[in-house]
Amino acid sequence: MKTTLTSRFTSFLFILPYLAAFSIFLLFPILYGVYISLHNFELLSKDYEFVGLANYINIFTPGTYINDIFFRGLWVTAQFVLFSVPLLIIVGLALAMLVNALPARIRGLFRTFYFLPYALSASVMAVIWLMMFDTNAGFLNSMLAKLGITGIPWLTDTPWAWISLILTTLWWTIGFNMIIFINALNEVPEDYYEAASIDGANAWHKFTKITLPSIRPVMLFIMITSTIASFNIYAQPFLLTRGGPGDTTKVLLINVLDQAFLRKEVGSASAMAIVMALIIIIISIVQFKLTSGRKGEA
Amino acid sequence: MSKARNKFSMLLLTVTGAALIAAGCSGGTSDGEKTPDEGKSSGSGKKTEILFWSPFSGSDGPFMKKIVDKYNGSQDQYKLNFVIQPNGEYYKQLDVALSTGKESPDLMIMHVDQVPTYASKDQLQPIDDLAAGAGINKADFAEAATDYSTLDGKWYSIPLDIHPLVMYYNKDLFEKAGIAAAPTNRTEFDDAVQKLTDKGNGVYGYAVPTLWPQQFIFPTLVWQNGGELWNGTDVAYNSPEAVEMVQWLRGMVDSGVSPANVQQDGENTLFLQGKNAIQFNGPWMKSQFEEAGLNFGVAPVPQIGKAKQAVFAGSHGFVVPKSVTDEKMTAGIGDFLKYVSTNSMDWAESGQALASKPMLESDAFKALEFQSSVASAFPYVQFAPNVLNWGTVSEPIWGELNNALLGKKDAQKALDDAVAKSQQALKK
Repeated sequence: MKTTLTSRFTSFLFILPYLAAFSIFLLFPILYGVYISLHNFELLSKDYEFVGLANYINIFTPGTYINDIFFRGLWVTAQFVLFSVPLLIIVGLALAMLVNALPARIRGLFRTFYFLPYALSASVMAVIWLMMFDTNAGFLNSMLAKLGITGIPWLTDTPWAWISLILTTLWWTIGFNMIIFINALNEVPEDYYEAASIDGANAWHKFTKITLPSIRPVMLFIMITSTIASFNIYAQPFLLTRGGPGDTTKVLLINVLDQAFLRKEVGSASAMAIVMALIIIIISIVQFKLTSGRKGEA
Repeated sequence: MSKARNKFSMLLLTVTGAALIAAGCSGGTSDGEKTPDEGKSSGSGKKTEILFWSPFSGSDGPFMKKIVDKYNGSQDQYKLNFVIQPNGEYYKQLDVALSTGKESPDLMIMHVDQVPTYASKDQLQPIDDLAAGAGINKADFAEAATDYSTLDGKWYSIPLDIHPLVMYYNKDLFEKAGIAAAPTNRTEFDDAVQKLTDKGNGVYGYAVPTLWPQQFIFPTLVWQNGGELWNGTDVAYNSPEAVEMVQWLRGMVDSGVSPANVQQDGENTLFLQGKNAIQFNGPWMKSQFEEAGLNFGVAPVPQIGKAKQAVFAGSHGFVVPKSVTDEKMTAGIGDFLKYVSTNSMDWAESGQALASKPMLESDAFKALEFQSSVASAFPYVQFAPNVLNWGTVSEPIWGELNNALLGKKDAQKALDDAVAKSQQALKK
């Protein structure tokens, strides 16, 4: 079909509202962030000068303070991403299948239960889990003590601190993944399963040969959004472990925000944020290529 | 759409957005834009309006509001508009407001240890003239706070209160252990916590915090032991004096006086449950303990160190941004601060010990047992080292101290590591 000038114009009108919002709330701040990252910008300082790529070079120069906090934080964040993303996908899908298998009358109820924590603010989440995890006075350890297990250092020792942070993250955010998976599962045509049953397929075969291939695009979406969300981990370690024990759970975003608002050096903080964003973008592209490539072969 | 997206854009928005606002103005802010001050104080018959910022978003807010309301009712020349910003966000909000000059406060509360940083960034004006004009006498305030906020001979902050670390103890547990008086030195303290510890009932003498409020406890102990955090040119918290105090703290975990693996607020949870006999914390905890119905006492922190009595403290003070130049405005601010210096009993009611000497010596204040006990430490209170960006310079201490107190690192090694990181932060 040939596009005329008028039709192009009308389609432009349709995307205009989104474009405006996108430019004001996302594009402009990003570009401004780039601008700031090229200056030695300090909050409260009257003048600032163009320093070119110096802030970026600092990040990649071993021995500088920025280099140290950036890569130490990045390594901690990367560990969290590695641990959490697979679980966010697997548990999300498992919950979705579980809820879907429930009788229709109580399905909505459980869907709400599992989704509820997602609506809580970070501080409420933290208050609840600090009480759950407390080594010497918490709920979990009181329960475990009845089974003869005592003194698990949930937030003060590794690997427990990691386990606690991931448990909290699952509890807090899994509802979103679950809802998306439920929608995807409902999209799979019922006849596929019926046909497979007639052919004598068991539950495992139905899951691997029908369910998984059918929800592959949604799986990719969940994988990418979960990765991005996990990279942006901040509230859980900031409020629960305070980066401890030592600084083993001090994630990159804690360091970026300290740099911006404690040290007031917004220029280098913006550079850190932008390098971090680039890393996330590259990883998302790689995930996309890998996953869609596999689909092409099938 | 998704939480992921939201968080992602939040990151960019917070860092870039806040900086954006800051940038938009720091370039263009000229004296010409500062005229709104005059607009607010339109002359004939109308009241001069003064925008007053505070971080009192906790239970202390209503007490300050009461003072402002009473002042506004007491005269008809000036009107204070009292604004409470969220405590955790206060300095972020302030930085943005000061940078943009829009809705920027005319008078604000500032913690005394922030004064050197903001003064060096040329954000505050010396208040010597303002105080003299209003009849406020510098000698009427606790010296620790006025000395600290006097930089190069200029006075920047009129102190409201001083809040040192104090010792809270559970009176019921003390009675049960047969201890008559609160300990005042290391021997008495070590002895008391041994007696108070009752393993069978899960009661500990002193649960050692591994995170906050170590920001108050660690400096207190180091100073008491004759050490320094800052030796005038460099960070100094890996001295033998500091190491000895960290070993003393960790020793209580090893001997069972404290439980191991105390998490954030863990010692306070135990204290509220009546399972931790003593804790060191700030005066602001008082109302929480009262609400919990605890039978508790308060006393100055004992002298644990070998050298001298000392205690780390914070302090709220009033400061005036440099941009406030209107004469009516400064006269109004002076008038209000003069009023506060003699009418701040409402603030003492919030649990704070006041920095104004006439108030401290008043019968009304002396009748307040808790606040008087807090104020008894004023002669030897010390604030954070008067060093630009001390908050970031000292930041590595807390992670390494956490390591040492959790038993993951030797005390000397942990403090050496903290010093190395701080030195790197100083170099940038």
